[in-house]
Amino acid sequence: MEKPATSPRSGRTLGPPIVICDKVVKQFGSNVVLREVSLTVRQGEVVVIAGRSGSGKSTLLRCIDHLETIEGGTINACGHLMGYRVDRLGRRTELPDRKVARQRRDMGMVFQSFNLFPHLNVLHNITLAPVRISGEEAAEAERHARELLDKVGLPDKADAYPSQLSGGQQQRVAIARALAMRPRVMLFDEPTSALDPEMISEVLDVMIGLSDGGMTMIVVTHEMGFARAAADRVLLMHGGEIVEDAPPDAFFDAPESEHTRLFLSKIL
Amino acid sequence: MSWSWDHFMRFLFSEYMLNGVWTTIWLATLAMLIGCTLGVIIAFMKMSRNIAVRTFANTYIWLWRGTPLLVQMVIIYTVLPKVGLKLGVIESAIIALSLHEAAYFAEIVRSGILSVNKGQDDASRALGMTWAQRMRYVIVPQATRIVIPPLGNQFNLMIKTTSLASVISMEELFRRTQQLAQIEFKVLEAYMCAACWYLLMTTIWGQIQKMLEAHYDRPFGPVADAADPKSGKPLGDAAAQV
Repeated sequence: MEKPATSPRSGRTLGPPIVICDKVVKQFGSNVVLREVSLTVRQGEVVVIAGRSGSGKSTLLRCIDHLETIEGGTINACGHLMGYRVDRLGRRTELPDRKVARQRRDMGMVFQSFNLFPHLNVLHNITLAPVRISGEEAAEAERHARELLDKVGLPDKADAYPSQLSGGQQQRVAIARALAMRPRVMLFDEPTSALDPEMISEVLDVMIGLSDGGMTMIVVTHEMGFARAAADRVLLMHGGEIVEDAPPDAFFDAPESEHTRLFLSKIL
Repeated sequence: MSWSWDHFMRFLFSEYMLNGVWTTIWLATLAMLIGCTLGVIIAFMKMSRNIAVRTFANTYIWLWRGTPLLVQMVIIYTVLPKVGLKLGVIESAIIALSLHEAAYFAEIVRSGILSVNKGQDDASRALGMTWAQRMRYVIVPQATRIVIPPLGNQFNLMIKTTSLASVISMEELFRRTQQLAQIEFKVLEAYMCAACWYLLMTTIWGQIQKMLEAHYDRPFGPVADAADPKSGKPLGDAAAQV
């Protein structure tokens, strides 16, 4: 696992593994959503996860941030064993809320439905967590927030409220809000699925910019154009398993799995 | 029985009755304040992960909503002293009214909190907030505006419900009315006076409630019909899409 790796996309050398999912099992009642899923993502890597709805791709992403409990396996992210403590006998107990909260601060997450805080303006959406949770100084947090708003192309929206923004603008604010915590990994859960077609590219452009900047990203999306442009690896999930894991060229031109061929024939 | 305007007007502004009105106002306000505070606590207990805490909250709500306030009041005033807990009239009235209110308000608070979009909880958890931080900075500010209208209705009810405290001889508006009616044998005039005073109190509260609701009902942020300086489009449009 420790052999040096280079990204076929950028030619950059990738760092050590930063997210390691090992035989993750997730069940909702008797419905098994993830079947021993294993996945390693290296620092600086951009991984796109595709698949039909119900294939488990969003659930996997949510498990990485421990927004969902898992029934089996382990997830190691940014040096934390996410959500659990394992004793010498191998028994798992869920960590208290406070500890999980601390673990999550190393990762940022962007949701399909944006989930901006409607009662706060854009600036306060972005500075809330750094100031209240990380104890950052208000002035410094604001400076950083304005820098991030610049980066996502919304320098003049600091005082606007979420209800005054378009979907694409809201999603870009949501990205800035996640970045404000200076995460080491960014998780994107279908970030463009709720957007009108003409707003998709403005969000994808920001994401491509992030990946160019070396951010480690795990992106659940149907946007295969983004996968081609920015991904180091593209995964296909089907029935709670990863059935394809390949660099974009191989994924699109010479997929190994029948499921991938079927998926591509429907989506392209 | 003939109607006497003379008696009616005399009762209406008599010091005896005005004192009763004042008692009703402070009794309702105090019971509401205590009741709401307890209600919030019970609401969070009901949402607790701990089954014992949850069971306590459920049992509390079940008992206080399942029995008449009148019965609760009499029990608190007459039965508790027999087991050594002696309370005066005023204390009994305040305790009964606020414990009763707490049971109803707990359900209002709980439904307000549960009605905040699940995505808000996801987003704040993903930012690394603890439960207390999520509640304080994200969930409660949004739940407040959902709770305000039913809270107003509860206070309207409370103003009228205080009349039940007359059965344990609390000297509020209703009991004073009863006594005036008995002393002067002018039953209709006395009760019409009481009706007027209750109506005045609930009407004034109704206006305050309207203002509160208007304040909490407008969309978050500046007024929505202002136009965006850049596009010239009304700003309200974007809200409708989401």
